[in-house]
Amino acid sequence: MADREEHQGLLDGDRDEDEGDKAPSVHLNPICDPNHLLHRILVLIFMCFLGFGSYFCYDNPAALQSQVIQDMNLNTASFMQLYAWYSWPNVVLCFLGGFLLDRVFGIRLGTVIFSLFVLVGQIIFAAGALANHFWLMNVGRFVFGIGGESLAVAQNTYAVNWFKGKELNLVFGLQLSMARLGSTVNMNVIGWVYGRIQMSMGSAGPTTLGITLMIAASTCLFSLICALVLGFLDKRAERILNKEQGKTGEVIKLTDVKDFSVSLWLIFIICVAYYVAIFPFIGLGQVFFIEKFGFTPVQARAINSVVYIISAPASPLLGFLVDKTGRNVMWVMLAVITTLLSHMMLAFTFWNPWIAMSLLGVSYSLLACALWPMVAFVVPEHQLGTAYGFMQSIQNLGLAVMSIAAGSILDVRGYLFLEVFFIACLCMALLAVVLLYLFDYYKEGGLNLSAATRSKRAKPE
Amino acid sequence: MSMFKVSLICSLLLVVFGAARGFLGRGDAFRRKVSVELNPGLAPPLSLPPGVGLVHLRGLGDNDTLHFVLCNAGAPALLLVHSNSTRSAVTVDWPEFINSSSAGSLRVEPESSVTYSSALVFTRLWEYDDVNNTADPQKAAESSFYPPYELQNFVWSELNTTLNQSEHTVVLCGGEKTQSFSNGSLCLQVSVFESQGRDEAWPSLLHNANSSQLRVWINGVTPRGNNSRFILEFQSVGDAGFQSRVDMRSSIDDEYTPSIFKVSEWVSSPVNSSSVWGFSQWKPVAYRKARPVFEDATACRHSELVFVNGTPPSAVIQAYFTHNTRIYGLNISFGLAEDPVFYDATKYISWTVLMGLGDPPSDSFSPLIIIIITVGLVTPLVFIILGGVFVCVRKRTSQSTAYEPIN
Repeated sequence: MADREEHQGLLDGDRDEDEGDKAPSVHLNPICDPNHLLHRILVLIFMCFLGFGSYFCYDNPAALQSQVIQDMNLNTASFMQLYAWYSWPNVVLCFLGGFLLDRVFGIRLGTVIFSLFVLVGQIIFAAGALANHFWLMNVGRFVFGIGGESLAVAQNTYAVNWFKGKELNLVFGLQLSMARLGSTVNMNVIGWVYGRIQMSMGSAGPTTLGITLMIAASTCLFSLICALVLGFLDKRAERILNKEQGKTGEVIKLTDVKDFSVSLWLIFIICVAYYVAIFPFIGLGQVFFIEKFGFTPVQARAINSVVYIISAPASPLLGFLVDKTGRNVMWVMLAVITTLLSHMMLAFTFWNPWIAMSLLGVSYSLLACALWPMVAFVVPEHQLGTAYGFMQSIQNLGLAVMSIAAGSILDVRGYLFLEVFFIACLCMALLAVVLLYLFDYYKEGGLNLSAATRSKRAKPE
Repeated sequence: MSMFKVSLICSLLLVVFGAARGFLGRGDAFRRKVSVELNPGLAPPLSLPPGVGLVHLRGLGDNDTLHFVLCNAGAPALLLVHSNSTRSAVTVDWPEFINSSSAGSLRVEPESSVTYSSALVFTRLWEYDDVNNTADPQKAAESSFYPPYELQNFVWSELNTTLNQSEHTVVLCGGEKTQSFSNGSLCLQVSVFESQGRDEAWPSLLHNANSSQLRVWINGVTPRGNNSRFILEFQSVGDAGFQSRVDMRSSIDDEYTPSIFKVSEWVSSPVNSSSVWGFSQWKPVAYRKARPVFEDATACRHSELVFVNGTPPSAVIQAYFTHNTRIYGLNISFGLAEDPVFYDATKYISWTVLMGLGDPPSDSFSPLIIIIITVGLVTPLVFIILGGVFVCVRKRTSQSTAYEPIN
């Protein structure tokens, strides 16, 4: 899933102004008092589970790769369409999501609407399997995609609204961990669910798949309930505290694109080339571990989820590390090189893939922590919204196109060639990082400064 | 010290050169001139029964000859004879061969030039009802097996129509005279090669001038059960001085056979020696369609190798092997455990095996992969080095300018 969350921490975390929203003290039970920490923790729980459903269901196809291919009688290229159809709407929606939340729906209604999209999308997806119509499954993924990414924006907006100036960074970290948890639980549980249904049905087939996906949809229903409760609590807090409804504060001006610097374009290239070698690989990984390393399906799903598992605790830690040291370009370079190494291990050796996948998990988290904040250094603040929107948009475009490409490569040339393709993408990312470093050095930009120098520069002499 | 250096550099160069040769797949530029002949030396009034034939495929090397003989009198068999003479020939005593196939009625002359001979015989086609869907005949109950089809009783189509002189291939199709084969057949395609290469069709095994390729497919046969799976039974015949074993090798390279990372090799080596003289090689994959896509692949597994007593029911084996032989049997079964797709779904299964002389060929990376990896890794590296130099130079100059004001 596109890394919508990572940058938000930086965007909004910097604006830690205390609003002094002290309400007239009303005597309420602490858990019901919007000003009290206990109440905020309650809200946080709902906030975290708001995205659980969409993260759980996003990787349903990856976790059920062989079952989907077999039951729906697909080839790998058309299987990967399920991921492509998720990404297509987000090529546009990355620009629109913030606008829709701020101007059209408002955060509360918007969240409910996006949750509804997620739920309805997943139900259509499951219905497509039940009816044995693959096109309907694609429609489902499309609708699901409309809701999915925008829901992440809404989730972040809620977080800023409730925790700004308080525990905001921690909350972002928790939300991110929660997202990874959703993916991990899905990877390890959904195959088992399928197996149980297959046993009770007596045979595998589109119906088994459909029922499994319907059960997965219950997580989306759960998320929708969270959205409704959050909306209610937020409304109530607004009434009690007289505070405003949250805004994303994103301003998107497409004409800004012409002002983007070379550095920013290089960052875009790194972003696309890097993520293309991660997400489609996870989407196709399960069968790879079974075929090449002789894993059982359960083991294969477990190892396929290890990237997410590692990312959950590593993201906050590495984020802290990068914040303390600065030198983002070097961190990004390190992340790209270690990812390259782990892909080479997977491609050219029979070494235990747990080594490569763990390395991949760490480097993936490192890249996310170091790459996304760099945008803020090369773009004036008023263009930040556009830059991030654009970055996510082309990331989604890259993922959509490359998912299909990866499926086709696998169908015709096999896994080794697919890995070589991913390695080529990473080499391109590496090249872009090197160029970024040189360009930044030449222009005397601040991308690779240490944190100490950076803060010295930030203070006007 | 300098000697050490020189030898180090030499060995490094050798390694690099060898690796490059191996990578680029030019290690085996060896060629043979191949000719194909049907029933060599058979003249009227003598004739073979209808549908029966003997094909001699001759691969002439620079100083040796490799003979392949395919014959479907009795169970179809492919005989490989290597001779270190360029003038060796296959001679058949046709009256003897037709009447009794007595030992010695088929010879490779001069007999003293023969260094190695072995044969592969297709004896039976088994069918069993895989009710538990294990795709493992060893786990199937004895009662689930149907009576096997004996390939020696098959009726075959005429060989002369399927003989392709330019491609050096011959196809043998046949079946039992029963209901099961009314719309179907079992076919064998034998190809012999002049040089290294691989077929376009999966599994695209790498072949060389020392090997022949056998493709077996069972098309349109009516299964006798709802969950029918098939098993091919083989026997290998070789000189008593040789022993066989089956190895399963892992390979990182699946670009020619997508998602297959294993190779099975049935090698024969002299007793008390580990050097390999002859081989049969296959990948554990079979295809369920004539023009397969990725999803049409299914697994195949081989049984344990067993000793067999008694010569297989094949005329060419009985006619050629005069001395002591050692015979092994092996089954190849098709299908994937818990796969809901049985033979009935497509009524087609195909499997390919390579049979040849010497060491079995092994896959190497395609030039495309080597180019992509090289370009991909070298380009950033060049920029890192150039950039490093640039940054160093700039740092030096900026330092020196920083001191200038003092002067």
